[in-house]
Amino acid sequence: MRPLDWLVLVGSLASIVIYGLYRGRGSNTVDRYLLAGKTMPWYAMALSIMATQASAITFISTTGQAYADGMRFVQFYFGMPLAMVVLSATAVPIFHRAKVYTAYEYLENRFDAKTRSLASLIFLAQRGLSVGLTFYAPAIVLSVIFGWPDRLTTLVIGVTVVIYTVTGGIRTITWTDVQQMLIILFGLVVALVMIFVLLPRQVSLLDALHLAGSAGKLNAVTTHFDWDDRYNLWSGLIGGMFLALSYFGCDQSQVQRYLTGKSIAQSKLSLLFTAMAKVPMQFFILFIGAMVFVFYVFEPAPLVFQRAEYERIRGPELRSRYDPIEARYEAAHARRKEAALAMVEAHRRGDAGAEDEAVTRYKQAQREVEAARLAGAHLVEATGGPKGFRDTNYIFLSFVTRYLPAGIVGLVIAVILAATMSSSSGEINSLATVSVVDIYKRHFHKKGTDHHYLNASRIATAFWGAYAVAFAGFGSHLGSLIEAVNIVGSLFYGSLLGVFTLAFFFRRVNGTGAFAGMLAGEAAIFAAFLFTGISFLWYNVIGCVVVIVTGLAFSYLGAAPRKAQDTALG
Amino acid sequence: MHDEPPPFLGTWPRVYTAVIVYLAALILLCYIFARAFS
Repeated sequence: MRPLDWLVLVGSLASIVIYGLYRGRGSNTVDRYLLAGKTMPWYAMALSIMATQASAITFISTTGQAYADGMRFVQFYFGMPLAMVVLSATAVPIFHRAKVYTAYEYLENRFDAKTRSLASLIFLAQRGLSVGLTFYAPAIVLSVIFGWPDRLTTLVIGVTVVIYTVTGGIRTITWTDVQQMLIILFGLVVALVMIFVLLPRQVSLLDALHLAGSAGKLNAVTTHFDWDDRYNLWSGLIGGMFLALSYFGCDQSQVQRYLTGKSIAQSKLSLLFTAMAKVPMQFFILFIGAMVFVFYVFEPAPLVFQRAEYERIRGPELRSRYDPIEARYEAAHARRKEAALAMVEAHRRGDAGAEDEAVTRYKQAQREVEAARLAGAHLVEATGGPKGFRDTNYIFLSFVTRYLPAGIVGLVIAVILAATMSSSSGEINSLATVSVVDIYKRHFHKKGTDHHYLNASRIATAFWGAYAVAFAGFGSHLGSLIEAVNIVGSLFYGSLLGVFTLAFFFRRVNGTGAFAGMLAGEAAIFAAFLFTGISFLWYNVIGCVVVIVTGLAFSYLGAAPRKAQDTALG
Repeated sequence: MHDEPPPFLGTWPRVYTAVIVYLAALILLCYIFARAFS
């Protein structure tokens, strides 16, 4: 990092904290602290929802995923607009009319206390696990760049986030999210422009697209159906819709955003705007990863992007095993570069025959490059490296630090840290809200003053911040972080979605049925996770269906149904 | 709490339809993009 990078980075982060503290003035009641007094406009909620969802993991891991696996990950988001339409028509009006602080509070109105408590505990378990991952991602950034220990990095970011989150509550979080989202969008555009600037002069944008596409990196839509395939059109539309329904309809970190809306209409608009903006944004981030791939077609790329492991396998002890792989890799890389230049040249001349021949050589060389990279990863794994080693999380950062000019590196690091802060602040705030409203106030201290619960919320916020920092180390045992976060979510979301579906649409279902349904749903999801190869996107569908079927069975075969509340649909 | 009409397209069902049409168009564009450069 050069002085200009430091200036941009420190300036960006300082402006976030100062702006957050400024916006947090007046958050002196529980209603203002947890729901911003229901005064937020739709655009602030929408950008806040997007910022909360776009964590550092999104930029670090998604770009690397496009480099390694192509753009097909974008299909994961195709179900989101469908989910947002369903939620706007159902959950948003129900939650607003129920005048609740948390989504789980509504479950007690509709069912009973045990269903509310179980849902709250499932949320705390799930979100508590993933908030540690949110902190771990930027720790990778700074450990790669500065060699700082992961623990120190997570502590510095954690303390910064906790300062403004504890002070200003959700109003601060929402407005800082807006600011962070604008920094993120600006940084992304600058990064893509810089990649194009750094491509060889004879390679145009159209050439870059052909090179990425010929290597299978622009596979944005794949229409074949396979239960075990994580990302295709059908798993994206159906599985992605169920995951988005669960995330935006049952996860307090998202529900709390649109509960701050001035009106039902403002909350609906925020979700629908997010639905429309999310797919293009993810496409754009993946496209950056695909263009980084094209950049490395012409520039030497390390066999392994994770520097510590790369240096280890090149050491004297493993040199005899490393050298043959490296030789294969360099030869394949050179052939790929030569074929790519031949493709570009033939295309320019309009020589279709020569272009076809160059494309064939390019694809063959690409397969050889991938095989050599795989052999490198196997060598890392077989000689004491992490099990299932993958270097996707290091590809984009490696590119940024090696090739981008002064100032831009600082900006990209600021983007990554801003994304971490926006995600983690929302997660910590929602964990604190559920802890206080659904657990502490409901079960341990029912008749406290507003001031008492405000202080309890602040203490809970600080606690969850400390917890997140402590558990950040869990991320080092996982592969691609973006997948890890979604897999953890999918283990719990299906049963939450199922119980809210029962609450909204099945008037005859009672509390015992809903409770039994959630337990059965969790059992089914964990069985699918542990004993089958089914892709994680389907866990939400499986869990939801099992909860509904079990809930209906228990309610119809068991006790008489509880009278439906006026907040349910129908 | 009263549900206001949307600021455009008149009714919420029309807004929802517009979002779904937009999604269909996005998927189609992504498909064309993938095919064009594969």
